[in-house]
Order: sequence, then C-alpha cells, then structure tokens
Amino acid sequence: MKVRVPLAELAFTRSGDKGDRCNVGLMAKCPTCYETLKREVTPERVKAFFKDMVKGQVHIYPMDNIHSLEVILDNALEGGATRTLRFDQTGKSMGCVLLRMEIEVEEGELQAAREAEKAIMEKYRDW
Amino acid sequence: MRYIRVGAGSAYWGDMLDPAVELAEKGDVQYLGFDHLAELTMAILQRMKRRDASKGYIPDIVPWMKALLPTTSRKGIKILTNAGGANPVQAGLEVIKVARDLKLTGFKVGVVEGDDILHRLDDIRAQGWRFTNLDTGEEDIDSIHDRIVSANVYIGADELIRALEQGADVVVAGRCSDNALYVAPIMHEFGWQFDHPAYVDKIASAITVGHIVECTLGCTGGMSNLWPIVKDSHRIGFPIAEVYENGDAVITKVEGSGGLVCEWTVKEHLLYEVHDPSSYIMPDGIADFTTLTLMEESPNRVRVRGVKGKTRPDTLKVCIGYEDGFIGEGVIFFPWPQALDKARWAEKWLKERIDYMGVQPKELRIDYVGINMLAGGTARWPENGNGMNEVGLRVTARTSTYREADAIRREVTHLWLAGPIGTSFGVPFTPRPVVALWPTLVPREMVKTTSFVMEVM
Repeated sequence: MKVRVPLAELAFTRSGDKGDRCNVGLMAKCPTCYETLKREVTPERVKAFFKDMVKGQVHIYPMDNIHSLEVILDNALEGGATRTLRFDQTGKSMGCVLLRMEIEVEEGELQAAREAEKAIMEKYRDW
Repeated sequence: MRYIRVGAGSAYWGDMLDPAVELAEKGDVQYLGFDHLAELTMAILQRMKRRDASKGYIPDIVPWMKALLPTTSRKGIKILTNAGGANPVQAGLEVIKVARDLKLTGFKVGVVEGDDILHRLDDIRAQGWRFTNLDTGEEDIDSIHDRIVSANVYIGADELIRALEQGADVVVAGRCSDNALYVAPIMHEFGWQFDHPAYVDKIASAITVGHIVECTLGCTGGMSNLWPIVKDSHRIGFPIAEVYENGDAVITKVEGSGGLVCEWTVKEHLLYEVHDPSSYIMPDGIADFTTLTLMEESPNRVRVRGVKGKTRPDTLKVCIGYEDGFIGEGVIFFPWPQALDKARWAEKWLKERIDYMGVQPKELRIDYVGINMLAGGTARWPENGNGMNEVGLRVTARTSTYREADAIRREVTHLWLAGPIGTSFGVPFTPRPVVALWPTLVPREMVKTTSFVMEVM
C-alpha cells in the first residue's frame, strides 16, 4: 500500500549557497530509499514545492556511488548572501525546508527507511 | 606507503581557535590550513584597506599565530592561510612580528600575491576580455563600473607550493581558493605536477580531500543530521586528512576529541556547496565526486578512494564586489493574547506608514518569526495563531540610500509605542551598506601571481 510521507522520512540533507544559487544535498538513508528518491524527487516537483522561493530552474544530479542527490535551485536566495533580505542568507535551512515535501512511498519502503535510521543512530552512538 | 597528515584549522573569519590549537598539539599533523574568507569578506577587507593602508587582512591572524606558533615552530608544522585577505604583505609582516617576539630566529614567512585584480580590470578588458556575469548573463561590467570595490581571483596552489619550496613555515595568501590551502601541501610533499597525466586523478583526489575538510567541523559532526548522537560537541575536533602517496585519503580527527567522523558526516560535507558533483571545478583541477568510494575503517576514520579528475581549467573564477545600496532592518515581538493578529496588524501599519511617509524601498520583506522566516512560501500557518506564546515580525528593506534604509528602520522602532499592547523590541540595528557580487571568469594566463619569503633575522 502507498502512503504519503515527508521526504524527511527517507533522506538526510545539507544545503548551502554559491551566489544566488542554493544547493541542497539529499542523502538516502538506505539503498532502497535512494531508488525512491530518484523516482520521487524530480525538478518539476521540487520547483512546485518551493513556489515563489525558487525563481529559477531546478537541476538534480544523482550520485549513485554515495546514494545521494545534489539538488540545485537557481535564483533561490533573493540575490545571494551579500544582498539578500532573507534571514537565512546562505540557504542553510533550505535542505530542511525541502525535507517537508511530500512523496509517495510503499509502506515497505517507509519501514526500511525507519529501520535504517534507527540502525545509523545506534551504530554511531558509541563512536 | 608514505602519507602526510594535514589539519583544517579554520573555516571562516571567527571560527573557534581551541580546536586548531588542539590539532597542532595533539593532531600529529605536518600541515595546517586556515580559511578565513567568504565571498563577501574581500569587499569588507578592501574597504578596511582603503581607510588605512596598513589594514585589510584578517586581524585574527595575530592572536591565532600567537596561540599556534610556539607549538608549530617546535614541531615543524607548516601553516597555510588566506588571512592575507586584501593585504597579504602586511599580514605576512604581522606574522614576522609575532615570530620575532617569540625569538624564532630563521623563521620564514611566505607571501602570495596577485589575486587582487581590482586595478587591472580595465587593462584586461582592453585586451578583449569581457567579465560576463555567470549568474545573470550580463555581458560586461559597464553597468557597475563606477561602484566596484573589489575584484579577486580565486587563485590556485602554484604559488603556495613555491613558497613551501622556499622553506616557508607560514604561507600567507589573499583570495586563494580555500581548497588550494590543502592541495598545496599535498602536491608539495609528493611532488605531483600540474598538467601531467600521471597526476591528474591524484590532484583531483587532493581537491576532494580539501573540499571535505576545508569547512572544519562540517565533516566532524557540525551542521549534522546526526546531531542528537554526536558526542561532546562542545569540544568538537577539527578534521585531519591523512593523505597517501597513491591518492587515497583517510578523514579523521584528533584522538579523544568530541564530534564524529563517519560515512554520513563525510557525505554531508561532500555534498556541501557543490554544483555538478561530476565536475567540481577548482583552480587546480576538476574532481569527479561520482567516482569515489567511502569506507569506514574504524571509528572516526573514513577512507576516500578512487577519485577521478580532469586537468585544471583555462579560466579562473573572479568575484567582483560592487556597492549596491543599503539594507534597513528591524525586529519586534508580540506576546499572547492574539499574538498573530497583533503581528498582522503591525505589518499593515508599517506598510501604510512607509507609504504615508513617502519612503520608497526597492524591496520590502516581512517575515513572521517562528512561522515563515525560514520556510517562506512553503510555510504551514498555525491553526491557532492567536494561541501562540509569541510571534515576531522581521522587517527588512533594500534601498538606494542610507537615509531611506534608516527611515525604514525608524518606522519599525515607532511601533514600540504605536503598536498593540505588549509590543516588545530589542536593540535596534543600524542600516548596512550592501556589497553585491558579480561572479565571472578570467583567463588563467592574464593572472600574474607571485610569492616571496621573509625571514626573522
């Protein structure tokens, strides 16, 4: 059965800036999650999700080697860090903002993601 | 196999000093890199230099060197820094002073110059080059020509390597790429050469390593998704790259320090501020991050292997800074009851007031703090906003003149008394000048970089 969940269930993130361009890295929590991310996170959906926040195009670069996507948001920082009126001048929060985008996943995929996250947190707790 | 250990001691102007000292004392490193420059910093430093010709470098270099040199000079650890900013020569002299005070006879400081092309822009244009804006596509800098305050090339590792070859204990550069601070010592130690097929992938590997560590705790558990389980974050360790002669590298940190280095923290930073990950373009080469593998060897040790690359580009990135008006800003908070309604009322009041006073900002932005300041148009508004404990209103405006920016700021302060019951305020901001950036390129052969070495007698 399919369920709608926020992207946060399947991915970690980190975002930053280069001029007026914001880059959002999405890391899949598990190999299955990566396939789901590639299917669900498309430039069209990301652009629609951000509404007026992203004025330019959205590009997505897959990284199969580390199960991650690099999502590039053009003209997304109201002119870039030095002249923007945004409080978050350098787009640090944009990844977390994107994690709220809803995607459609199989219940099994969601379960795998939740177990993967739990295992990750357990593994590094004692490092 | 031969390896060297390179530590990252600073990610920005204002980073912590104690983890850098820890790296020097306990990191078993041969080199330390210090990045202090962001895109905007060069314009700020140029302005400082214009007011006082003996300024324009990152002033932190003095206390940093005082804290570090006693250890690094004793252990033979070399330091590379871009704290020279807009005035590398003066910064170099400041380091010499510190070394002299510490009685370090024979101590050598290398200075790298040539990134500053502010006074060469017209000369380069006269040779037929156009500084096309990479963001907007505008063909040349005519529209901003009179307002330009800085123009710096992101230079590569070449002159830093030359300074190391001349025996420099500290190398001070201006706007070299953050990355070059790490590529330089690696290439220097292993004798890797530019533009030689045997070294292209290895240099790409050095670039990747530099990218992973250059933001200090960006790869050791800072800014992390794993924040709930990162241990002892208050004494977080800065990263160390253990780089091998075959191009492999292990990302780690000082034994016993706080923080975390694992597959995830390294991935987090690999993805940070990258465009096309198959083509990460730096002045020293182009790295393909899609070819590498990450392997956890043991706790807090992650091996990076298999980076492929391409030879360095013919053009270098330039950031031209230009004056672009002012920003006026104010923040006020409203308490329960009816916190959200009060904030909405204040937004309306402000807009009417600004209009009534005839102030015409080029752009006005109003954020509801706690609701949409970060989430913007994606925000979900609270169902019971009037039940919220408090709501903030952040008002910012871009204007042509200081006077207008100040007028906007003042209108926010007028809400202190004109606003609804309970309206609260903190310390008011002063209007700030805006330096906008014009990102562009310049042919490598038109940039003349040089270096020289000074010595404590």
